Amino acid sequence: MVKQSAAKPSMTKTSITKQPLRLLMDFDAQIQRDGQQASDFMHRRDRRFALNCEEHNSPSDPAHWLAWLGRFDNSREQFASAGQSTEQRWQRINNGFIALGAVLGIITMAGLLFYDGGQRINVTVIIGFVALQLLLALLTSLQSVMGWQPWRPLLNRFMPAPRPALQPLQPALMARAAQGGGLSFAVTALLTLLAMVVIQDLAFGWSTTLNTAASGYHQLTSALATPWAWLWPAAVPDLALVEATRFFRAGTNTLLTPARWGQWWPFISMLWLVWVVLPRLLLRLLASALVHWRARKLLLRHPGLNALRERMATPVLDTGAGHNDANDLPDTRHNTLLQPLPEKALLLSWAGAGTVTDKQTLPAALAAICPGPALNVGGLASLSQDQQAIAQLSVNSDAVTALMLVSSWEPPTGELLDFLTSARQSWPAGSRVYLLPLAAETREPPTTATDRQLQPWLRFAERCPPGFVTVGDIAISTGLSPS
Amino acid sequence: MSQAPVFAVVGHPNKGKSSIVATLSQNDAIAIALEPGTTRRSHAYPLQVDGQVLYTLVDTPGFQRPRRVLEWLEAHSVSASDRAATVAAFVTQHRGNPQFSDECELLAPLIEGAGIIYVVDGSVPYSPQHEAEMTILRWTGRPSLALINSIGDEDYGDTWQAALGQFFQVVRKFDAVRAPFEQHLSLLKAFGQLEPAWENPLETATGFLDRQRQQRRQHAATLIAQTLQQMMGYRHSRSLAEDLAASASSQNKDALASELRKNWYQHQRQREQQLRGDIQQLYQHGQLQRQEAELEWQSEHDLFSEDSRQLWGVNKGYLAGAGFGAGAIGGIGIDALTLGASFGTGALIGGIIGAAGSYFYGDRLPLPTLKIGPLRDGVKTASFGPVPDTQFGYVVLGRALNHWWHVSHRNHAGRAPLALGTTDSHWLEGLSKPDRNILHRALEKARKGKAADSSDQHKLGQVIIHAMKAYNDWELKSI
Repeated sequence: MVKQSAAKPSMTKTSITKQPLRLLMDFDAQIQRDGQQASDFMHRRDRRFALNCEEHNSPSDPAHWLAWLGRFDNSREQFASAGQSTEQRWQRINNGFIALGAVLGIITMAGLLFYDGGQRINVTVIIGFVALQLLLALLTSLQSVMGWQPWRPLLNRFMPAPRPALQPLQPALMARAAQGGGLSFAVTALLTLLAMVVIQDLAFGWSTTLNTAASGYHQLTSALATPWAWLWPAAVPDLALVEATRFFRAGTNTLLTPARWGQWWPFISMLWLVWVVLPRLLLRLLASALVHWRARKLLLRHPGLNALRERMATPVLDTGAGHNDANDLPDTRHNTLLQPLPEKALLLSWAGAGTVTDKQTLPAALAAICPGPALNVGGLASLSQDQQAIAQLSVNSDAVTALMLVSSWEPPTGELLDFLTSARQSWPAGSRVYLLPLAAETREPPTTATDRQLQPWLRFAERCPPGFVTVGDIAISTGLSPS
Repeated sequence: MSQAPVFAVVGHPNKGKSSIVATLSQNDAIAIALEPGTTRRSHAYPLQVDGQVLYTLVDTPGFQRPRRVLEWLEAHSVSASDRAATVAAFVTQHRGNPQFSDECELLAPLIEGAGIIYVVDGSVPYSPQHEAEMTILRWTGRPSLALINSIGDEDYGDTWQAALGQFFQVVRKFDAVRAPFEQHLSLLKAFGQLEPAWENPLETATGFLDRQRQQRRQHAATLIAQTLQQMMGYRHSRSLAEDLAASASSQNKDALASELRKNWYQHQRQREQQLRGDIQQLYQHGQLQRQEAELEWQSEHDLFSEDSRQLWGVNKGYLAGAGFGAGAIGGIGIDALTLGASFGTGALIGGIIGAAGSYFYGDRLPLPTLKIGPLRDGVKTASFGPVPDTQFGYVVLGRALNHWWHVSHRNHAGRAPLALGTTDSHWLEGLSKPDRNILHRALEKARKGKAADSSDQHKLGQVIIHAMKAYNDWELKSI
């Protein structure tokens, strides 16, 4: 098993983020930043993290990953992360909704309970308003679940466009803010109701244009009061109260004294608490849970997370591709040209050139230039045989002119250079060696090797002592045009 | 754990030692030239997995004076048992001597325990003249493998194989420039056969290399899918001041359209080039020189021209077929909404609409048009794009797969520029019908500017992997 030991990651400086929304946004921001990084670097970095987690048995989730990446970052206390600023922005929005809800709650309830002593406060209106509140609360939650955003253009005008990762969360976040505002509205309205009950003498009654009997109305109020009937029976209006507090557009109800008009307040308070405050509270909690759940789901489905897991699970393979000497190439320029062969020359064969294979036969044109037998040097010959050949060619005091056959495909080596250096030292001044690189295949008319194979030989001749070595061209010497 | 095996790649000068190392270490930045002595110092290329070395390849200079070295060795050896020690003594004695610097460089890893990879050129005739260097290598006593590389077009491999068999435990043929990836792995496994202790690390290493190749293919598919979606849905926008928008005569509009079109083309070309770079980087071809027709409108072989469309795009029949499938799936939605009351007529209608639309556009590759949005906050927005035809996506995909195929099949010893030509046949035939439908839907969705979710991206990535396979089969068949 391939493992790598590394220092235990220090998590003391950075707290592990727990909030899914902040985690999602921080994770997304990191993935966006990583878009600029080389994939090799990211692979090494994340694999290293995974190995550390494995070694120390610590979790390798996105929260720990972010903490690991930010462990050298001291600026977190001064600068808010992407997740923090998103949270702060939504906190401001939530607070705005709460404040607005609180003010509207007071105004609305004060309006509903407006009583100048001349008329009674219609309980039917309050029940209708409660039903409207309930409906709005449910619609708010429903549109967030459906992902419908009717307020989106309005929000766009005041807020920068959210990052793509946050876009699917917008409905849930907005619903959470709206439910928060609604809850604040409901609570302040309830408090206003209670305050008004305390400080004012309110007269409640009920009225409707519809032809409804008091018993029918009583059934409605009893049904509405079912949730708290066992808890506070006094808050459930009895039939007598219902009958006593009905008022008509014309005429007066004379069955009961006005003393009973105030007895509706426990019902109204409980009605508001149970059918407005509690649903808002529950839906607010549900909206919060939905934000958390969706943020977690988005994080799990984040394309960056899959890529991160893959990087963490895949060992880093370094094939040794880091070394770069591509530009460290030898100088391949040369100023040497092929020279015509001499009229007469002594023949040398280097490393079996011209004698080795059946396919490779000596060009006939050479027979006229070199009538004598070829001396084998290099290759299978020993170093002493090389020395003997050098000595044998310089028996006379005349300058030596030698034609050395070489295999064009076997590049010149240090041994050939040694041989030529030794020959130059032993032979009289004015001696000369013509290298003749032969091609592997016999060609008609006979030519020397291809241009590509000749280049190293021309450069080799340049490196040899000046004037001593040249590269011969058989095509020129036989009067044939080069192919 | 025992020390990771080391393999010294040795031989006569200019026989392709560096090419072998470049291919096996996936390094295209190793100096390679048809000039003896290009490698002057030996250099180690370790294969590491999570920082742990599994094996090391050592590139070495070629033998320059083997007969002289052999004579020295023979002069300082008494019996066969002291040969390896004598080679070590030679290196100690001559370290720093410029005459034997190449021999010291190449023998040093061997006396430290490296295995021998002896490289010859199988495209030139066998010659017994290299006996001295082979004898020196035998004196080191190290496990050895001979590799017949082919630099030229001729083939003398069989003669070499017979001759080298007398000196080396294993003889293999390996073309550093052209050998397919499977042969790389097979060769590395053969290295592991040289000594029992080397078998495991080489098996592990080849396993990792194989997985790396599969992951690269997957990663390449993701990169191509992302590029495809971005290029299909790209819109180039510019804000216009109110007065300019109001005074926009038709001449001004033409100039504006021309400017936006130019920027749109430029962006698309840059995006395609970025993909090329990313794919090459992925396959460690950092030095690769590419010859590909630059993307110009209405010139030969470019991204947008009729020629490109005909070569890389899809024919009307195919597009109509894919359009039918995609449309039909949309139509099934109608059936679902009517709880099946339409008895499948939804699918039929959808299919016909899809096919008709595709067939209509399949005949040509229309240009995006200039759109000027409504006035908002005193500013109008002029936009150009996205491309109104899915054909564009098939052209981009075809070109991307062509490039990917050549890059992924290119060995790192190759130094010739990568020439990306065009072809006259079509590879999409190998793609299954469901895949074609997914591809077509993804292109349509991107064209309409709809964001693809992670499931869409995953599906498209899978289809591109299938397309890669289809393309590979098609390329191999056409070869």
